[in-house]
Amino acid sequence: MNHSAAQAIFGLNPAWIATTVFIAVYALVISEKINRAILALLGAGLMILCGVLTQEAAIRGVDFNTIGLLLGMMVIVAITGKSGVFQYVAIWSAKKVNAQPVGVMIMLSLVTAVFSALLDNVTTVLLIVPVTLLITEELKVKPYPYLLAEILCSNIGGTATLIGDPPNIMIGSAVGIPFNDFVIHLTPVVLVILAATVVVFYFVWGKELTTTEQARRRVMSFQESEAIKDPRLLKQSLAVLGSVIAGFVLAHSLHIEPATIAMFGAAMLLLLDNYHRTAEEQAHNVHHSFAEAEWVTLIFFLGLFILVHGLESAGVIQWMAQQLLNATGGDFKITAIAILWGSAILSAFIDNIPFVATMIPMIKSMAPTFGGEQALMPLWWALSLGACLGGNGTLIGASANLVVAGIAERAGQPIRFVQFLKSSFLLMLMSIAISHVYIWLRYL
Amino acid sequence: MNVSTIMNPNPVTLSVTETFGAALALMRDRRVRVLPVVDLQGVYQGTFDFHDVWKTLLPKAVLLGMDSLTDLSFVSDAKDILTEKLAEASTRSVGEFLDVPIEPIHPETPVKEAMLLFYQHDGDIPVVDRKTKRLVGIVSPWEIIDSLR
Amino acid sequence: MEPHSSQVIFGWSAATLATAIFIAVYALVISEKINRAILALLGAGLLILSGVLTQEAALHGVDFNTIGLLLGMMLIVNITGKSGVFQYIAIWSAKKVNAQPLGVLIMLSLVTAILSAFLDNVTTVLLIVPVTLLITEELKVEPYPFLIAEVLSSNIGGTATLIGDPPNIMIGSAIGIPFNAFVTNLTPVIIVVEAATVIAFSLVWRKHLVTTEAARQRVMQFNEAEAIKDHRLLKQALSVIGAVIVSFVLAHSLHIQPATIAMFGAATLLFLDNYRRDADHQTKHVHGAFAEAEWVTLIFFIGLFILVHGLEASGVIRWMAEQLLAATGGDFKITAIAILWSSAILSAFIDNIPFVATMIPMIKSMASTFGGADALMPLWWSLSLGACLGGNGTLIGASANLVVAGLAERAGHPIRFVRYMKSCFLMMIMSIVISHIYLYFRYL
Repeated sequence: MNHSAAQAIFGLNPAWIATTVFIAVYALVISEKINRAILALLGAGLMILCGVLTQEAAIRGVDFNTIGLLLGMMVIVAITGKSGVFQYVAIWSAKKVNAQPVGVMIMLSLVTAVFSALLDNVTTVLLIVPVTLLITEELKVKPYPYLLAEILCSNIGGTATLIGDPPNIMIGSAVGIPFNDFVIHLTPVVLVILAATVVVFYFVWGKELTTTEQARRRVMSFQESEAIKDPRLLKQSLAVLGSVIAGFVLAHSLHIEPATIAMFGAAMLLLLDNYHRTAEEQAHNVHHSFAEAEWVTLIFFLGLFILVHGLESAGVIQWMAQQLLNATGGDFKITAIAILWGSAILSAFIDNIPFVATMIPMIKSMAPTFGGEQALMPLWWALSLGACLGGNGTLIGASANLVVAGIAERAGQPIRFVQFLKSSFLLMLMSIAISHVYIWLRYL
Repeated sequence: MNVSTIMNPNPVTLSVTETFGAALALMRDRRVRVLPVVDLQGVYQGTFDFHDVWKTLLPKAVLLGMDSLTDLSFVSDAKDILTEKLAEASTRSVGEFLDVPIEPIHPETPVKEAMLLFYQHDGDIPVVDRKTKRLVGIVSPWEIIDSLR
Repeated sequence: MEPHSSQVIFGWSAATLATAIFIAVYALVISEKINRAILALLGAGLLILSGVLTQEAALHGVDFNTIGLLLGMMLIVNITGKSGVFQYIAIWSAKKVNAQPLGVLIMLSLVTAILSAFLDNVTTVLLIVPVTLLITEELKVEPYPFLIAEVLSSNIGGTATLIGDPPNIMIGSAIGIPFNAFVTNLTPVIIVVEAATVIAFSLVWRKHLVTTEAARQRVMQFNEAEAIKDHRLLKQALSVIGAVIVSFVLAHSLHIQPATIAMFGAATLLFLDNYRRDADHQTKHVHGAFAEAEWVTLIFFIGLFILVHGLEASGVIRWMAEQLLAATGGDFKITAIAILWSSAILSAFIDNIPFVATMIPMIKSMASTFGGADALMPLWWSLSLGACLGGNGTLIGASANLVVAGLAERAGHPIRFVRYMKSCFLMMIMSIVISHIYLYFRYL
């Protein structure tokens, strides 16, 4: 990564321009007055227009592997969602526990965690929450504990794999960590955290959740097989999803990048879903599959990568890494634990995506201090666990939280910031404490 | 030809303070499917129609308009919960059921525009004065057809 | 760009694989059985999976300047379109000529040509055709000549500038030809071609275009001011478009790339249109703006760039260029004229985008034969004129033609392939003859 020549505008130092633009965008994103995609694009544009980066250097800063992986998975999941398989699984799991309210809560939490590990968290909650609201309305129980449990489990489950949560995708892509390493290093601790969280929920909410026999029977008479809208599409999409995950597992030994697998999988599924249709229907379907992707998130990523690359090429990131190392005295253990807790607390209040985007080049630049890239691995796990699990701390900590809060509000069941904070912040601290013990025992 | 020449200037209206139950009864008695709702000054507040009724009775989750829940083909067909909901809603005032009012038309709107609105969604369209926002009439499909014969 | 080391799969050379995949995709795109975006993505994926390109090399082949410019302009135009300004201009221009059918035809053709020079052709016809159908219905005249004139004018007008038509965007971006160079080299000949086309049209259709006084009065009563739906948005959109076009003119001297300008303009317009709204509405609007972009086209471009890069990296393009030079005997004049006519004839029958994508690296590789990159300029103008104007030859020659045909069919006025070809193939030949004369006298 060569530094772009310091063509400064108005004779200003590029490091100052980059820092100012970056902080301004960050502050405005936190204020939530203006949509973050707009801000990231404007900030990226300013980086180029002020001469911190050329357009070419800016594009080089964009991690298209992350963008491609996200887009590919979004397309696959959006098409799969149309088959009705997620409603099927949710209803099936609720009926498996005889529609007992506590059992339903635990089952839906586990289903959410498993889906989140393999799909985007936001997509998972978008699929699960409406069915949850339907079931709780029929059971006449308050949906709040269910939604809360699903939020927490989606962020916990998402931490388990490379593709589960954007921070993992970014870390995996930037550092080249294969899918299997995430499974080996993160899945065990995530299982412990998930179990601990569900147990806490069982004891806190177990007694309050009661329903009538009549209401329970209403849910038991749900016909989950009716939820499958397109059995043909179901088979196709499960086959593609299965091959994509197998592809991720084998990717490293085949020298294939995750974005290629996800985009090729998306193209295959589009082909299977469309080849028998007319040209006009195909154009319509293909357009919609891409149009339904979360463009606000993708464009935010794009702008953010450019902003961070601006900081990086102006030398600001190296300076920040140096400051962090000075603060931790260059001690590896202290650095790892500081990254874990620092990420967790910060991610509880600010969006973890820009935070992780900034941390990645910072940690990368510590390689010489700690003896090479291989030695850095525990720091990546600390960053992933801190940033992903930290999102559980507050209602604004992760996108999935905000999405659930939005749906709940529209359904007349608003989730309040403080109410959420009371239950979730302690659970988040518990999860970080478990991670701390895990990292300490396994890596330090 | 604009809307003022064909509209019904004396529509059956509903006050925001009337109850949901009274509104349903009025729709049945007067054989209308859309009731314009006005406040005490006669200012247009929105319309009450069966869309509002179904919205009240259906499970909230399906009303979110989300791709992940677009049908109810798999749910139980128990009617007890619906009966309860209807009884509960009947005593509340219609004001609580009005969502964002459908964009009304004005006396000087071309009739073609009104026809386009009928084509897009069925249901009578309230006519509102551009300045005072008072309800001045209503247009139903028959008023257009009759004016063309 | 050094050729990628020829890793082979199944014992095939990289060149054979790249050629086979490229031809297969090309053939399937022409057959129109499967959506072209799916095909391009699958083809690109196969190139990577079979080892012809790495994912990194593939991304390197994507011209993100073209993608960014297209996306940025799509966003700006979609937002601007909501203000109703295009309907306003169409109605205003029809009333300026007292709603006389022939005058309306000429005015709408000119409006289409001018708008197409600055906006995407497909967008332009999508904006103009519905108003045209409305006016012709009120005038009780056959819409056919109006629609055909608009199709021809949109392809002609689009040729005039860097941003008017995708082939120009691709050529400009790949070679770094500035906006102003397109204006000084292509706009003069385009004005002549447009004038000749409108005159020819008027002579042919003059007798058919008659209406009654009552019908004329109906159109004169249209109130174009009511067409403006959002005055505030209108002012914002027009100032952003103005600023973007001024920046294109100045871009070269300021060392700014077109994609930066278009995307920054789009971000500014999104900002202006959204900053007063609440967070939910902003998200909806920003998502909506991106969702409405033509993803089928953009994804097709991305896949295509990768496919062509595969050919290039495996040396196939260089071989093709050598064959073309051998055929023209290495004579510059013959090469230029051959490019003009063959681009025109081919573009009349096949999509000009993959054709231009393939031609660009071919022509680039001729630089050494003809004495440097600067000497190639006339070839670029030949390619642009041939590929853009050639699209007028048949109903399937350009996207705008197909879009108008689709709209006309839905409106109950189908445009038949043969009827179109009878009226338009000669018009296309006329435009290429004019271009031939222009190129000959100015450059050869």
